[in-house]
Amino acid sequence: MLRKKEVGAASVTANGLPIDPSIKIEKSRAAKKAELNRNLVAYSFIAPNFIGFAVFTLIPIVFAFVLAFMNWNGNTDMTWAGLDNFKYIFTNEMFLASLRNTVVYTVGTVPLTLVASLFLAIVLNQKIRGRNFFRTVSFFPYVGSLVAITAVWNMLFNPSMGPINEILRMLGVDNPPRWIADNNWAMFTIILFSVWKYMGYYMVIYLAGLQGINSELYEAASIDGVNTWQKFWYVTLPQLRNTTFFILIMLTIQCFKVYDIVYMLAGGGSGALSEATTVLVYEIYNSAFRYWRLGVASAEALVLFAIVLAITIVQFRLEKDK
Amino acid sequence: MKKTIAVLLTALMAVSFVFANGSSETAASDGTTTLTWAVWDYATTPYYDALIEAYEAQNPGVNVEVIDLGSADYQTALQIQLSGGGSEFDVVAVKDIPGYNNLVKAGLLTDLKPYVERDGIDTSKYGGIVEQVTVDGTYYELPFRSDFWVLFYNKDLFDAAGVPYPDNDMTFEEYDALARQMTSGSGSSKVYGAHYHTWRSAIQLFGILDGQHQITDGGDYSYLAPYYEMALSQQADGVVQDYATLKTSNIHYSGVFYNESVAMMNMGSWFIASLIAANNSGQSDADNWGIVKYPHAEGVEPGTTLGTITALAIPSSTNEKDAAWEFVKFVCGEQGAEVLASTGNFPAVTNEEINNIIASMDGFPQDEASKEALNVAQLYLEMPLHDKSAEIEVVLNEYHDQIMTGNMSVDEGLAEMGRRVDQVLAN
Repeated sequence: MLRKKEVGAASVTANGLPIDPSIKIEKSRAAKKAELNRNLVAYSFIAPNFIGFAVFTLIPIVFAFVLAFMNWNGNTDMTWAGLDNFKYIFTNEMFLASLRNTVVYTVGTVPLTLVASLFLAIVLNQKIRGRNFFRTVSFFPYVGSLVAITAVWNMLFNPSMGPINEILRMLGVDNPPRWIADNNWAMFTIILFSVWKYMGYYMVIYLAGLQGINSELYEAASIDGVNTWQKFWYVTLPQLRNTTFFILIMLTIQCFKVYDIVYMLAGGGSGALSEATTVLVYEIYNSAFRYWRLGVASAEALVLFAIVLAITIVQFRLEKDK
Repeated sequence: MKKTIAVLLTALMAVSFVFANGSSETAASDGTTTLTWAVWDYATTPYYDALIEAYEAQNPGVNVEVIDLGSADYQTALQIQLSGGGSEFDVVAVKDIPGYNNLVKAGLLTDLKPYVERDGIDTSKYGGIVEQVTVDGTYYELPFRSDFWVLFYNKDLFDAAGVPYPDNDMTFEEYDALARQMTSGSGSSKVYGAHYHTWRSAIQLFGILDGQHQITDGGDYSYLAPYYEMALSQQADGVVQDYATLKTSNIHYSGVFYNESVAMMNMGSWFIASLIAANNSGQSDADNWGIVKYPHAEGVEPGTTLGTITALAIPSSTNEKDAAWEFVKFVCGEQGAEVLASTGNFPAVTNEEINNIIASMDGFPQDEASKEALNVAQLYLEMPLHDKSAEIEVVLNEYHDQIMTGNMSVDEGLAEMGRRVDQVLAN
């Protein structure tokens, strides 16, 4: 999408012969009709999906762009707000806190997940006994129901009677962290959980990437007498570049959209997130469906959109420059 | 080519049908009227069917159907359904005050005052609740349930400890001393003297019972400090369970009372029906229990307590306003109140007769004090009606949490609470 169109590509035929643009071949009416027919058939196949997409995704997205500059509660008349919604959100402490938390979460989760899943993939790519078993075990957190596994984590990390803190106390830690109940540890606990949950999934993608590496490269490297570390650094990593790039983008976007994990881990029974754990999507939900300020919610969503777009563009640029 | 256009047109029509079908006809050809009622927790709430049966028996031409929107996101789901302008609901239950405020602001409810005045209904029987939900001189809902907070206690635990039961006239100092006296044991035999559920109402709203302050006023919240300090020191001394533990483990208040690990618990009157049912089914061991009036500050009348209401409203989009109003009038009136009371729930219309129905229920404690505890002197809503109530609620919850988990000191937390509520009010 961002690549420049190669200039002049269309002026060469399939055989590489130059095309004189001054010669225009007049299509016959029958050919035109056949083409139209073909297109219509194709469109009719796309139609069911596209109509659904347009009604439920495209129109709402365009609508959200408009709404960001309006005041609306969903029923009464819309009024023009100009930039008021943006002024409001950038002075709103909860929104700013959610922005900060989301960035912290992403910066914490993405590199850790990348490293952890790559490590797992390399280890489980060796011919070891019970390899499939361990692969399944690593993948399990990803398929487990979020509600169930967050409940288990909350028990494990319970500040006063959780087994993690019991063990820490036995090991001589007098004041073990209060994890999700402590403002300073809450985000860390959420990052830890996310890495654990996601690493199995990205491990599978890395495994596919590892198996796609030509073994001749390793043989050649062995003949050149390089050690294992050098093999990893000069063969494996560069060969996995495309995989890493894909994971980086998917994971970053996923992290910016985080909501369910934080809600389930830190929301407690009331499902209310505090300033220490609130995230962008939660604030958008709150503005829209608790306060019914749809304009403000759209403005917040626009900020999220701009961030994700910017990061994706930067990542694509970096990828191209390499 | 013609075929493809036909296919496209059919697809478009199919799509537009889906959207055009929002408002369905409610009056059938045989003269019966069908009313659709939006509720939550239909399967676990006995009174919906009881009310409908009683109403249909009186009004043979009317059919009431129920649609359950679920409890967790009820207000959100309801408002989304009503916002389209073409919902099928004729009557809706309104769960809380912030939700009511949002619906009113969006112009989704019918003004009920003209109907009330036309039919000459005396709203004083609701004990001031109608005045508390009045917006710009009129109101859009009528309460049918009104719950208030009382102090539940486990008689067996008091008997075992040889401590006299709490009574209907207790100050907070007496309550605190009693809770400490009732705390005993450790491990699995540990008995906590009191219990606070993780809702902010359970502690924070002790502070508004003197009638001097509105929780939505913002500014100086230091008047809440004594109650937070009492709760925190009880927590530190093991008199009540640790807030952070309760919250992260998502522990429900009913369980700790059922398994006899707490001697006293402040909770809403809705817990009476659940407790009786749990005792009957054997789910609960706490079958010897009682209630007394809420503890009160020095100089405040006993029986002053917190309340929360459940109300009915009529969406402005319905075509069956008159039929809907007749149903609302029934459910929120004396007849509905009797049906509600017979299922162990507290109707918004209160009088001696209704209290007698509840107190004579099987499983309700037989002592005089428990029956007397049903008389409310003054009721303050957990969340008063305010234009920004939904946003204020979030701030109040947040700092309740920060204080109770020890992330902030009481003074720090209350100062922040005031600052943030002021910010909400200014915007």
